[in-house]
Amino acid sequence: MQAMTRRAAVAALLAAASVAGPAPRVAAEDADRGATLFRYCTQCHGEQGEGNALALAPAIAGLPAWYVERQLEHFRSGIRGRHFDDIAGMRMRPMSLTLRKEGDVAAVAAYVASLPPADPEPTLEGDPARGQQLYATCVACHGADGAGNQQMNAPPLTGSHDWYLERQIQNFRQGIRGADPADTFGALMRPMAMTLPDDQAVRDVVAYIMTLPR
Amino acid sequence: MIERLVASASSYAPDIDGLILLIAVLVGFWFLLTEAVFFWLILRFRARDGQRAEYITGEEKSQKRWITIPHLLVLVCDIFIVVGAVRVWYEVKQHLPEAQQTVRVIGQQWAWSFVHPGPDGRLDTADDIKTVDELHLQKDVTYHFELTSRDVLHSLSIPVFRLRQDAIPGRVIRGWFRPTKTGVHDFQCAEICGIGHGIMAARVIIETPDEHAAWMAEHAPTTSLAAAAVR
Repeated sequence: MQAMTRRAAVAALLAAASVAGPAPRVAAEDADRGATLFRYCTQCHGEQGEGNALALAPAIAGLPAWYVERQLEHFRSGIRGRHFDDIAGMRMRPMSLTLRKEGDVAAVAAYVASLPPADPEPTLEGDPARGQQLYATCVACHGADGAGNQQMNAPPLTGSHDWYLERQIQNFRQGIRGADPADTFGALMRPMAMTLPDDQAVRDVVAYIMTLPR
Repeated sequence: MIERLVASASSYAPDIDGLILLIAVLVGFWFLLTEAVFFWLILRFRARDGQRAEYITGEEKSQKRWITIPHLLVLVCDIFIVVGAVRVWYEVKQHLPEAQQTVRVIGQQWAWSFVHPGPDGRLDTADDIKTVDELHLQKDVTYHFELTSRDVLHSLSIPVFRLRQDAIPGRVIRGWFRPTKTGVHDFQCAEICGIGHGIMAARVIIETPDEHAAWMAEHAPTTSLAAAAVR
């Protein structure tokens, strides 16, 4: 029953995403296709996309389809996951290359978006009060509630693991992510991440994000 | 002969091809001969009307020589194979010629990454060039490689070099190769290492000295003050 509901949700997402308005039968087939393709992802990201720290795989459940799709395309083209120090990215890149057929990326992204968002527990020690002050820089794009803003190409931050957020901010700061000339959106994030003065500031802002309601 | 099936691009590839050919010819000869004798015996002593089968114990000399003579001849062939194999093993695995350059090869789930020496020709200096999925080598240069793994067992298998070496976490395994032909060749992890093993591929790019120098100049690491500031 739950799977049927999810397929219906994916079908609705896919239908809404298409300007031309595909026939319902085609959207339903794509929903099944997304679920089938997602089986490959469960090895690391978990059955419900809840993530797995041991596999360096973040929670992806409920992330907007546009963001998942873009990241998959970045992995596929080598914009992301091809830096010498991006250990987790190098695990993800070959996986993204298994999505070979046209429409695979959109189908699996829609399925991921249909999954109920995760609610991971904090694992890092940081000062949320100081983090709140530092978060002021992030508000313009990610929103005061951390819900993200597609118009600003900013993904939601809530529902992510704190270790993942910390690692990505550090990756942006160190040029492991966002430094590729083709990564126009990463190029926007990188200078923002570099306003955080030190590692503790990164942990503080992440600690604040973890206090935001999902 | 094997080169017609799989391209060859290292100094010791002909030695390994020669060994494979030697084994194939000797083993193939005995295989074909024994199959021929086997089928000849089946036809020669097939069931005939009025003729009873005879049970033989194999204890008489005339019967035993069907086993002992081929056995001794196969042992002679084994000596040729063992001598050839030890010679190639020594040349390829045990005797490392002096290195002109050293590259570091790192396996991880599910990518190969490489550290090339920069213009100073030494590793672990500021001009090292780090790449993912692409190993750049210069033709006719003797390389040592330092093979490591970041996580689980992998295997560096470069068919054009006739090279295969496991990468073991916690160990640095040294070996060598000398590329002899320019070109671009794919290679792939040869040890099951997880769900992405089948797509853990990379390329070796063998360049002329000029091409290699141009590649080094193009990929010389740039020092980012901003990046350095946060390290």
